[in-house]
Order: sequence, then structure tokens, then C-alpha cells
Amino acid sequence: MAGGVLVLAEARRGELREVSLELLALGRELADSAGLELRAALVDSEPERFVGQLAATGLTEVLLVRAPTAHFEAHVWEQALAAMIEQERPSLVLLGQTIDSLGFAAAVAARLGLGFASDVTGARFIDGALYVTRGAYGEKLIAELAFPDRECTLLTVRAGIFAAAPVDGSRPPVREVSLELADASATEHLGFVEVAESDVDITKAEFLLSIGRGVEDAENIPRFERLAERLGATLSVSRPLVDAGWMPAARQVGQSGKTVRPRVYLAMGISGAVQHLAGMRQADLIIAVNSDPEAPIFSVAHYGAVADMFEVADALEALLD
Amino acid sequence: MKILVCVKQVASLDEEFELGGDGLSVDPEFVEWELNEWDSFALEAALRLREQIGASGDEVVVATVGAEVAEDGLLGCLARGADRAVRVWDESLASADVLVVARVLAAVARREQPDLVLCGVQSSDAVNGATGTALAGLLALRRVAVVKRIEPEPEGRALVVERELEGGLLERLRVKLPALLTVQTGIFEPRYATLRAIKQAREKPLERLGPGELGLSPEELSGHAGARLVALRPPERGEGAQLLDGSADRIAARILELVRERVG
Amino acid sequence: MARDPKYDILFEPIQLGPKTLKNRFYQVPHCIGAGSEKPGMQAYHRGMKAEGGWGAVCTEYCSIHPESDDTSRVSARIWDEGDIRNLAVMCDRLHQFGALAGIELWYGGPHAPCMETRATPRGPSQIASDYELNIFPRYMDKDDIAAVQQMYVDAAIRAREAGFDIIYVYGAHAYLPFQFLSPFYNRRTDEYGGSFENRARFWRETLIKVREAVGDDCAIASRFAVDHLLGPISIEYDKEGARFVEYCDDLVDLWDFTVGDIAEWGQNAGPSRFFEENHEKPYSGQIKPSNHTNKPVVGVGRVTNPDTMVAIIRSGQFDIIGAARPSISDPFLPKKIEEGRLDDIRECIGCNQCISRWEIGGPPLVCTQNATAGEEYRRGWHPEKFHPAANREKSVLVVGAGPAGMECAMVLGKRQMSAVHLVEAEREIGGCVNWISLLGHSDGKPNLHRGTARGLGEWKRIVNYRQIQLDKLRNVEVHTNSRLSVEDVFTYGAEIVIIATGCRFATDGLNAATHAPIEGADATLDWQLTPDEVVKGTKQIGKRVLVLENEGYFMGASVAQKLAGEGHEVTLVTQAKEIAPYMEYTLEAPMLHRDLHRLGVDIHVYTMIEKIEPGVCHAYNIWNPAHKLRFEVDSVVLCTARLSNDELYRALKADKPRLEREGIEAVYVIGDASAPRMIVDSIFDGHRLAREIDSPNPEMPLPFIRERRLWGDSGNEDYLAQLRNTADVALA
Repeated sequence: MAGGVLVLAEARRGELREVSLELLALGRELADSAGLELRAALVDSEPERFVGQLAATGLTEVLLVRAPTAHFEAHVWEQALAAMIEQERPSLVLLGQTIDSLGFAAAVAARLGLGFASDVTGARFIDGALYVTRGAYGEKLIAELAFPDRECTLLTVRAGIFAAAPVDGSRPPVREVSLELADASATEHLGFVEVAESDVDITKAEFLLSIGRGVEDAENIPRFERLAERLGATLSVSRPLVDAGWMPAARQVGQSGKTVRPRVYLAMGISGAVQHLAGMRQADLIIAVNSDPEAPIFSVAHYGAVADMFEVADALEALLD
Repeated sequence: MKILVCVKQVASLDEEFELGGDGLSVDPEFVEWELNEWDSFALEAALRLREQIGASGDEVVVATVGAEVAEDGLLGCLARGADRAVRVWDESLASADVLVVARVLAAVARREQPDLVLCGVQSSDAVNGATGTALAGLLALRRVAVVKRIEPEPEGRALVVERELEGGLLERLRVKLPALLTVQTGIFEPRYATLRAIKQAREKPLERLGPGELGLSPEELSGHAGARLVALRPPERGEGAQLLDGSADRIAARILELVRERVG
Repeated sequence: MARDPKYDILFEPIQLGPKTLKNRFYQVPHCIGAGSEKPGMQAYHRGMKAEGGWGAVCTEYCSIHPESDDTSRVSARIWDEGDIRNLAVMCDRLHQFGALAGIELWYGGPHAPCMETRATPRGPSQIASDYELNIFPRYMDKDDIAAVQQMYVDAAIRAREAGFDIIYVYGAHAYLPFQFLSPFYNRRTDEYGGSFENRARFWRETLIKVREAVGDDCAIASRFAVDHLLGPISIEYDKEGARFVEYCDDLVDLWDFTVGDIAEWGQNAGPSRFFEENHEKPYSGQIKPSNHTNKPVVGVGRVTNPDTMVAIIRSGQFDIIGAARPSISDPFLPKKIEEGRLDDIRECIGCNQCISRWEIGGPPLVCTQNATAGEEYRRGWHPEKFHPAANREKSVLVVGAGPAGMECAMVLGKRQMSAVHLVEAEREIGGCVNWISLLGHSDGKPNLHRGTARGLGEWKRIVNYRQIQLDKLRNVEVHTNSRLSVEDVFTYGAEIVIIATGCRFATDGLNAATHAPIEGADATLDWQLTPDEVVKGTKQIGKRVLVLENEGYFMGASVAQKLAGEGHEVTLVTQAKEIAPYMEYTLEAPMLHRDLHRLGVDIHVYTMIEKIEPGVCHAYNIWNPAHKLRFEVDSVVLCTARLSNDELYRALKADKPRLEREGIEAVYVIGDASAPRMIVDSIFDGHRLAREIDSPNPEMPLPFIRERRLWGDSGNEDYLAQLRNTADVALA
């Protein structure tokens, strides 16, 4: 290939992960802008089962690597990726910033002396040189990075930032890359454990549905608990609900509660007192629903709806049915 | 058994801050330093493992690549029970990126020859999530990232760990020593140091080394940098929310769309 | 740090007659227990607010004549030259900080019993006060009316001489002008009674005369309860309330609106237990938006949130944010908003402890959130300044992060002690506040006169504020989930150890009335509980519950309220003459009684329990123990007494040689662990120790300035000299 863009897709337990399609879209954009070829690669014990899902326009080739282990194993993936890079010589490698990639991506970059940046939120070529953006100082600033003198740069890209590439049924050629991976495994998989949700930790949630005084009465809270569950969100609250004794302090977002940085913060019936905003303004996507157009929460929200929270909740439930 | 814990003193910014002269860092006047939260858990894991496996001659060593501000964090670790601390620094490391730091730590690790290396999953200021893994790669160490639980096997030659996956799932793995683990927050409740322990920490060994003393030259190091910082700027703050209007149905539909784009 | 532009509107000046109010922060008249006879306390407490940025600061109600004497409740007085001189100290101090000084000219009529002056109050009709018992006014004929109006005029002239900028004719809280206006008080048949204009005549004439005398130099204000909350038999905001405002609008430079009267003034100074922020909006908040006035309006509602303040002004509800309690809790609230330090604002919790002292009659005010309230002059304490401790190289261990421990650690931190460790056994700091703040709810249904039992959630602000401050202090470490043993404390490495381990409820029925346990009382059994067990839900509670309350504050009544709201049949028994007598002083009693009655709680006063058996409590009337009562119940809650958790403290003190060996130089005990008390006093205890940690004997409070008449000289010279060196307030 020499000089192309290589996207390493990711699957877990038989499902291709959404981030892979986001990487394909980003990869396509970058490849087009620099006049490079785009390839996707996947390492898995049965990699061929994902070929159909990786079909997206603009892919020159899909590379499959058969892993000797049934489950993800950091050392196997590390070997596979390193070997693919040495063999195919891409100039840019894209991975998602995922739990799996945290186990091997940086190791590959360090060992092979690649350009490297993680948790990337933006990337582009300018006059043939690659520039990426990522957060700095805990997301308070944006850093712009360059990779002078690097033949190959590896980026791990934050999930949920880029839109997914449409899967369009195009059928790029598939090539199985055979690599010597038999001895690569270094850990032993013992099984999976489902975590019981005993103590809710709202700071770890990716999606928070947060309710405030607009809920008016303790009696109205259970319907939002149900809505949260159906949305796949964790329920959190603003201080007045804790003050009133309707919800435990563990659910409180705010300066005197918890500071949260979820992917999505959907605030309903929260006016946005200063102390509350301090606890959630760093969320990636803030959507606010409040019947008061002057509610301060709108000043930090990315999207706002001046509407009745109960009506919107009903409408959401209807759509989820 | 020797456990090496790699820690970082992280920068936390005041509400309002200014950039320093070169525009590539924050003016130190607006920066507060503290030990990275993840590393605190890594240290706690090390201290507990030592207590559990417990043999004489066991050592927990903390190491950091950092300027003098990092000594505070190291003293905190010594106060909590670490035996020795190592700080590597000189001016050439001022713009070190994650791969350079990993290289320096690798040199420290080769010197120390630990049975186990523990790092935090990520630092709260740079959020690379890469140092530990890069270090493992350079040392060719077995590793598991994002570890939520560590159980030593009775003879202490292997560990059973649980790796935290997205969606609250855990994977159980067995890894033989020597190995490197990156530790997730919440693994144990970190102990704190009493006033006496804090005072006594000053008597424990704290070594200060330059990269040269580890056999690393500045050219070699900078040549291994993964990236170069070219600009630092504030994030764009929108002019307030983008309005979703229309009926409750339309608003709900749009909300679902936005949510799905983000969390799938 | 800079001011957020959305708060700019709070800092816009506004004209009050001939005076300019520099911003929209206005401390409305409120009591502090200083009057004109503690000029130091008066000037320095008020001055602290001016220093903190309040644009106007007023006295408490100020008697215009010896016929208006509220002893033992403390009012200010402006009867003579001496009062002018004493109140001028306050005016000077306010002016020094750029604030306007306001004085609320007051004539109480029959509500003021004149127990010091022994004069006879006058009133529009001879009906005894509905607030004080057995006090009748003398009926005012035309000469009396002229004489009393002249008292207002003379007082206003003295007020001007003292330096006051804003002079009130005070007709809220059912004092004299309101007594003429309202048909509830006024049964006259002459031109001062009957029709609206007649009833308004006294007030209107007084305003005209006062304006004539001082109106060119001073802003003329009037405080008016726009709604008496008694319905059509008195003034209603949308009828004669609005009409009166229109009728006298040309005569005032500033309206100060409230609701209610003095008999139940908890409807105005609403405790957070029953009233939410901005609770007067439906009444006093309706006058301006309905265009009944062209003059500036100030109003209250225990508003602490800057965003609410902005909304109030933008919506036209008021022009000026009035505050009493929020200004006591944080005299520096305006400055903190200006400097963008919103997380440093110490929010009022609406406990009304400040008010309770005035109601008791005599003591200086106190404040749960702000331990320096009332101490500005007599101890030189400044809420925002803490001079470094002389012994700050010492390290301190504070055991227990309840109100006393949190406050003590915070102040020690601000006094720059080299290292302070605050160690708490539970997961969260806050101590008893964490479960107490869950009380105060019943079933969420409105009680009979405005509002529901909304609970003590705002009391959690005690913890919120201190948590934020402790987080900011680099020399303070807070460790939770760590129960220290005696051995742990000995070996901790601190030179100063402060025990703040709180208290627990007696389980054997020990009580203040009989000084003995009660036969059969045993809250370790699963059908008997202490109040904290009720809140924490650790035991099953049967349908019929008896709550025995011997302490006198809110605990027993609040537990009864909670259980009744949850559907239990509750009997509430106390040896006192009423349930929760202290809640009379905090103005919470009327709403509490309404709620308990609505919930069907069976209340027995003057009653004591002599024996508890499974299923039955045997009781007797304290006036005649042979008069027996019998209560058949499933569960019993014992709220009889508390006991200090002082085991740790005693164990430490018992081994002095060990203390010496370990380098522990001092061991102190504070808060409930020293002696069970109210939260306001625990916080004060912790605060005081920290302020005086470097005095020669910190355990013993230093003397404070007593403003008293000494035969010959002032009597404070020695202590004043010392205090000037160490006080954080610049004492003149």
C-alpha cells in the first residue's frame, strides 16, 4: 500500500462496534483529501463474518487477520497491528479510543516509533501534513498536534464524535493477511462477569437523564426513572430534589454533588443554577428541555427546547415503543 | 516482590487562566498541581498487593517524570506507604509527549527490574490513556489495561485481574508476572496518610535523576516523540443553545437522533 | 475574577427620592438585639453588610417614643440626643463603606407592652392586641392622633440629624399605621375610620408631615403589608392593598412590601421548612407588575440565588432585592456576586435561629451558617477575614465532620494552620445534618394556610458550603469512611487534637423532667426507636406509634409529622405546656400545628410516660400524677434526651503521660460531643475554638466586650486594647 490510510475496526462478542463506522467515515475524508487509499482491517477469530458490515464506499480493500484466540487479547492485537503496519506500510492508522485499544495501540506506536496521538477529536491534512486536535488540561483547552518526520502516524479517535459512514452494500475486495500470531497470546481469558448495579455512580455514566424542579412532585419521578431506563440512560438530579428528600445525594449533579462528564446530558426541568452548571457543563452534548425560555441552562446547552418536560417525556416514550 | 508504580503530578486549572509566553502552555500562576487520581488508585493497589502477598524484601517504588512540583505527589505516595521514590527530570523533558515519557519510564523500569508495574489508566490533564501501554510495549511486558480488580494467586507468580469493558461488563483474565497493569479508579478505597506518616515520608529515599543518568540522550528522546504540540487554544463555546422547536413530538424525535449519534 | 454580565442588572443604581442607591442589594429592617443601647454591636453588624457591598442597610424597628416599648424584645430607639449619638455610629460606619442608612420609625400600639417605660400605648380602637396578651391601647382622639403624628415628625428630624438617608413610616407587621388602615383593628366612626380614605387618612397624613419635615434631605419609605392574609376582614393585596399603594404613591420614594402581621409573622419571615425561596411573589410580588405604583419597590422572600434575583428584577416583580436573613448568613453576598465567587456564597438555610433570639427577648442574634453574626464588635470577628494563628506551625486532627468539626476545621484552615486533618467515620461529611435534613416532610399535602411541609432540605446547605470551602483549603485534608480508635488518635501525629464526635439519643428514656430513665424504655429493642433510627429506616415501625418528646425543639414533632404523613396513627406526648416550644421562637409553630392537626396527630401536653410495655404506654398528667392515661401502641419513639459521644475524648484525657509521649499538646472537645445542643451552637463552638486556638488557654473563651454602663468609665479598656491587636474587624 505504502502511504494509505488504514482503519482498524473493532468487534466485540460477535458485533461490529459503531466506532468502526465512524473511523471509516473519518478515514474516507482524510484519504480523499490527501489522495490516499483507504483500507479497513479487522482482527478476530472469525473475521469474515464482519465483511458485510464493513462495506462502505471508498474502501480499496478489507484486510482480515485471523486471531488464534476466541476473545480479544491485547498482545495478539498488538502483534497483528504491528505486523500489518510493517507489511502494508500505511502512512496513517486509525483506531477507536476504546477499552480494547487502550491495551495495545500505544504499545505499537512506541515499539515502531510511530507518530501518535490518542483521544483525537479532529484530524485533517494541510498541504500533505497531518494535524490533529485533542483536549488538553482536562478538556479546558484544545491542543493541535503535528507529526513532523513521521512516516506513519497512529491515532486513536474518540468515539461518538464523527458521524458513521453509511454502509452501502459496496463490496470492496477482501484479503486475508496471514501473520504468525500463534505465540502472541500472553494472558488467559477466564470468563465474563456482569456487574451488579449496587451503588449507582453517575460519574461513570455515558448518558445522563437529569431532572430538576420542573418535575414538581416526588410522584412524578418514577416515570422519569422508567424513561431513563428505556433510553439507556442513568437518572441524575439537581439539588432541589435531594433537598426535598425525593432522591439520594448519590444522584445529585452539581458543585456540592457530583461533577459529571458524560457523552450526553439531557436536562429536563432544570433551570440551571450556577452550582448545577458547574457540575455538568463539561458534558460532550448537553440538551436542555425547560418551559422557561430564560432558564440559565440554555446558556451552556448545545441544544435547547422551550417545552413542557412532561409532554416531551411522553413523546419520547411513544417513539421508544 | 518489587512493584513499580508510575505516577504523574497533573495540572488542574483555575476557572480563569492565561496562556504562558510561548502560547503552548498555561501560565503556571493559574495551575494547581496534584497527584493524578488514577495513580492514587494504582498506588493503593500496589500497597494492598504487598500486604497480601507479603514477603520480606518487598518494595513498592514510585517513579515519575516531572519537574520539582511533582515531589509533592511523591511525598504523598511515600507517606501512604511507598518505600522509595524516583523523579526523573531535566529541561529537555519539558515538552515530552507520552511516548517520550514512556521511554524514560522504561529506562527506570530496566534499572529497577520490578515484578509488577502499575500505572493509572489515564491522567486527568492529558487524558492520553497511553503511557502505561506504551511502557509495556517498550519493555515487552505482558499487560492488561483498565483493570478494576486484582487478585494475586497464592504463590504470587500470577494475578487474576478483571478488565472493565464498556457497558459495565468485566472480563476475567489470568496474567503471569512480570506484567504491567493500568489501573482504573474505584479499584480499592485509597488509604490516606496520617500526619505522622506525612512527616516521616521526608526521611524516605527520594532519588532525583536526569535522563542522562539513565543512559538517555536528549536527541534520542525527542526523536521518539509521538507528536509535537503546535497550538493551544480555548474551545469554541457556542452562542447558546441551538433551538429545537416545533411540537413535543418533533422535539422528542430530534433529541433521540442527537442521542443516538452520540451513544449509539 | 470578574462579574458575570448577566448579573450586571443587580449593580445598576436606582434613585430613591434625593438619594441614590448604588446597587439593588438592600438589607431591609430586621432585629439583631442591639437597638440604640448597644451601639457597637449595631454599627459593626450593620457595617459588615455595607463592607460586603449591600447598597442600603437599615436598623431594626426603631421606637419613636417611650409609648412604643417592646421590652424585653429589643428595638432601636430614637427618643433623645443620646439615641441620636448612638445611632450616628451606625450611620457613619455605613457611609464609610458607601451604603445608605435606613431607619424604620415604629409605633407599636397595643402590640408593645411597655414593660420598661410603663407608658400607655395608644391605638385606633380599644381592642386588645392579637399578639401580646392582655394589652389594651388607649383610644386615640384627634389630639392623640396629632400628638402621635408629631412623634413621627420629631423622630424623623432626629433621624436626619443622626445621618440616616432613608426614613420609614413603618406600617407593616400590623403596627400603628396599619392598625388604622385595617378594619380588623379600626372600628372608628369618625373621619379616621369607616371608608377606605378615612382609614388611610392617619397613614397618609403622617407621610405628608414626615415628608414636609425631612423629605428634601432624606428618602421617605413606607413598609406596607399588602396582604394581611386574613381574607376580606382585613387588607388584601388585590383590593385595598393595591388601592392603598396607588393612594399614597405620590408620598413615598420607596415602597417596602411584606405580607401578614406580627401575630404570625412567620408568613413573612417564612422558615424554609414551610416556605420556598421568593415565597411572597403571589402577594407583594403582584403590585408592581399590575402597575399600581410608579415608585421603586423592595421586597423579600429569603432569596439567596443570584439568578432568582435577576429574574425578580427583569420580570418587574420588585426593583430592589430586599433581604434580612440572607444578609445575616452572608454579609458579603453582593461582593461575592460581583467578584464571580458564587460558590463562596453562604446561603441562608431558613432555620430562623436569628429570629428566635429576638422572640425570646433580649439575647443578641445568632446564625447557623454565619457564626460571626453578632460577634463583629464584641469579639472582633469578621466573616471573611481570619488572621493567621500565632501557633500555625502546629498540625491539627479534628475527629468528626459534623457541624462543629467541619466549621472548626474550616476556620483552622483559613487561619493557616500548617496541616489540618478532618477525619470522619461515615462515608460523607455532614454528621447529623445528613439525616436531620431529611425531616420536616409530612405527606406533601397543603396545610391549612399557604404551603406544604416541604422539609429541611435547605439545612443541607450547612454541609454544602463547608464542603466547598474545605475543598479549597490546601492545608486541610478531609478523610471519610475512617473511624479512628483511641490508639489511632494517639499515633496520628497531630499536636492538637479536637474531638467533635457528636452525640446519640438516650435509649432508656432518661429525660430532663424526671432526671431518671423510664421503666421499660429500651430503644435497643426492635419496637422502640430513637429519632435517627426513624429517619434512617433501620427498624420496622408499627401502625400505632407514640412519640415521647422531652427536648423542646423540633425533633419529636418532626418525627411525628413524618410518621403521620406516612400513614401511621401517631400520639405525641410532651411534659411541656406545648409541643416543640422552641419552634414558637423560630416562627415554625403555627404551620407545624396546622400540619399536625391536619394529619390527626393526637397531642398530649403536660403529660409524662411512667412505664412502657409491649403494646402499652402508661402515662400521667404532671399536675396530678394520679390522673392516669393509657396509650395502646405498636411502636415507641424516644426523643427524651441526648448524650455526648465523648468516650474517645475521655480515653485520651485519661492517659496524660501517653499524650505527652506522642507529642499531643492539647485535646479539646466541641459541639454535641462536649454537650448536646442546637446546630447553631455547635457551629459556633467549633468556630470559636478555631478563632482562639492561639490564645493562652483556648478551651476557655476569651472575654468579649460587654456594652454596659459602668459607674464611672466604660469598663472595656483592657480587653479593647488586646482585641484591637488580634481582631479581624478594624475596631475604632
